[in-house]
Amino acid sequence: MVNEYFDLITYGGNLYYYIFELANFSVLAFLVLITYKLGFININSFIAWIGIFFSPFLFNYFLFSPFLFGDQFTYAYEVMSLKTTGESYEHVGGDGFFGFANAVTLSAKILGTIPLPTYMTVTSLAFANKFILFITFLWFKRFFNNENEVLLYFLIPSLVLYSATGLRDTLVMVISIIFIINLIRGKLILPILLLYPLLVLKIQMFAVLAFYLLGHLIFQAHRSKNLFTFFLFTIFITGAIYQESILDILNLYRVAFIAENFVAEDGTIGYSAWALYGQENRADILLNSMPEAIFLAILKLPILLLIPMPWNWSNLFYPLQSIESCLLIYLYCKLTLESKIYKDYEFILLTFILVVGLGLYALIMANEGTFVRYRFSLYYPFLLALLYVCRQPKKNIDNINDKKLLN
Amino acid sequence: MNYIKKLRLKERIHVLEDFFYEYIFTKRSIYALGISLVFSFYVIQNSTLQFNISTTLKDGAQASEMRTGLGGVAGQLMIGGGTSDGGSFGEFKSNMHSFALAQRMWQQGWGSKIYGNGDLDEEYFNKIPKRQQTSDRLAAYLMGYDLNKYYSAHDLQSYIKSNYAPDKKTRGSQQIIISTLTSDKEHAIEFMNALIIETDNYGKESLIQKSNEIIASTFKQLATSRNSSMSSALSSTINSEYFKIANLDNDMPYHIDIIDPPHSSEYPVSPNITAIIFSNLITFFFLSILFSFFLKNKEDLW
Repeated sequence: MVNEYFDLITYGGNLYYYIFELANFSVLAFLVLITYKLGFININSFIAWIGIFFSPFLFNYFLFSPFLFGDQFTYAYEVMSLKTTGESYEHVGGDGFFGFANAVTLSAKILGTIPLPTYMTVTSLAFANKFILFITFLWFKRFFNNENEVLLYFLIPSLVLYSATGLRDTLVMVISIIFIINLIRGKLILPILLLYPLLVLKIQMFAVLAFYLLGHLIFQAHRSKNLFTFFLFTIFITGAIYQESILDILNLYRVAFIAENFVAEDGTIGYSAWALYGQENRADILLNSMPEAIFLAILKLPILLLIPMPWNWSNLFYPLQSIESCLLIYLYCKLTLESKIYKDYEFILLTFILVVGLGLYALIMANEGTFVRYRFSLYYPFLLALLYVCRQPKKNIDNINDKKLLN
Repeated sequence: MNYIKKLRLKERIHVLEDFFYEYIFTKRSIYALGISLVFSFYVIQNSTLQFNISTTLKDGAQASEMRTGLGGVAGQLMIGGGTSDGGSFGEFKSNMHSFALAQRMWQQGWGSKIYGNGDLDEEYFNKIPKRQQTSDRLAAYLMGYDLNKYYSAHDLQSYIKSNYAPDKKTRGSQQIIISTLTSDKEHAIEFMNALIIETDNYGKESLIQKSNEIIASTFKQLATSRNSSMSSALSSTINSEYFKIANLDNDMPYHIDIIDPPHSSEYPVSPNITAIIFSNLITFFFLSILFSFFLKNKEDLW
């Protein structure tokens, strides 16, 4: 069932909303039950996933207005339009950059293929996201002996929150997880294929993971100190040669994010306010050299990792996210120290790429709410990858790499 | 082969078979389906029908430009012509959502038709008692401020803003769509018609007033001007303003052209009967299975 009149009626929070969305919940709950009965998950996962599937009811229209993440409606419009007419919604349609598919359209196409009984409200997409996350859990947990430990990583509050909204963050995270894990396992075809959806859905993620692929596949930087050093050396040389182009791109995003959140003295906001009043400050914002960019990234990285700061807390979620930020950093350090893998080059490359990605975000960071979300989308796949690296017997990963080398 | 063995297909098919007979093919499931139908009919019976009332207009920006765009120097000197970037649409939308327009609609008795019994007596519609929510009354009592006792043009303005939002069909398109959902088709069509016409009239009257002011002040400047080129420019301005008034002072719409007059959808948009019955069937059926499962496995689960 699809709501063909979504542009007229969104059933926001009324009885019909609960009727339609309970159907989606029931189907997903049934799916968990079947997987439990078939022995794919244990009892703890069964109970936890029933709770996770119920979570969309706790966010949109209950704890906050769906307009807090207003983009949800854009995806919902697109899904409904594609499902009812086969064409893009008029306000969304069109190609993305460089003639690639539009990010909204591709997200809508992926979310729309999930076999849910009803696509009537904006929260239906949240259930589609939950389904995708559950399948990812089933796939990911098979690499571990302790299912409960994996389950805990799927109960991280931000993950529960973002997957309970109709945004594309879950898709980006899931694709990134599959990408990184397969790359570490030495299966290269899937990561190469996944670069395309990543490019369309989130170009920043594409840049970071393409960089990782390069380091892993071409430079084999995860194998030894020398190869990693060679990789680093090449990056510095390339960075120096293409300094201007890299800075141009960084400056473009830096200015764009600041302009998006610019508030003029007369109360006008956004790009129009920036065009009128912000241009005079443009020169102060621009990065002029690579050393300056690296220095600034190092300075702002701790801020990015710890936002939202206490003086910016404006609702209940902010302190929770703040605590969670600290816990996630602690978790990364704890996993590393516990498994004593800090000398393992698989870990060093993984962490290096994560730091580079976070450094890029630190450089272009403007709006706290947006960057808390961006940071999590980047951090979480790397955290799961670290868990994978830590929990796999080192022999396994080495064997994979040796086989690859022999071939 | 190893992989297939690992899947333990036979064993799992048996589990599914047992599961089917134990939880799905039971009396409880049939009862659940029955209850879902009863509940669906109850919901449908108590639903309010919502029809879609819509109209398609055309942004009159280009036409207005042609009507008002005369006189080279005059055109440049002209202050605040009828159109600017954003076109007539922006002006039309802000006029529609203005308090001044709500006041005009209120004076015509629309407040009475929306909040009261439709009596057009001014004494009646200015005294329609306003029912406040308990939470609002409690807040007002605790914090010591007064709530409005009667409905006013402010309420009508909020009503218009929340129910009648003109929107361009696509970015850059000339077509403007206004739509609303209502249970009273006739009233909504009548109100939408009146709202469009009154918005346009209000816009035209404002422009006429502005033109008259420009003419009066330009005449004053003309009387004191000793420079022939300035006098010529000022005369052109006066001419153009008179021309504008002539264009505006008629019954034709100015900011917009009506392509499709307000009309109602044949079928109600809400409730979606099929979706309600289908959703309830699924919910009751699957929740009954879950319920049976919880009952039989209470001890394992806790």
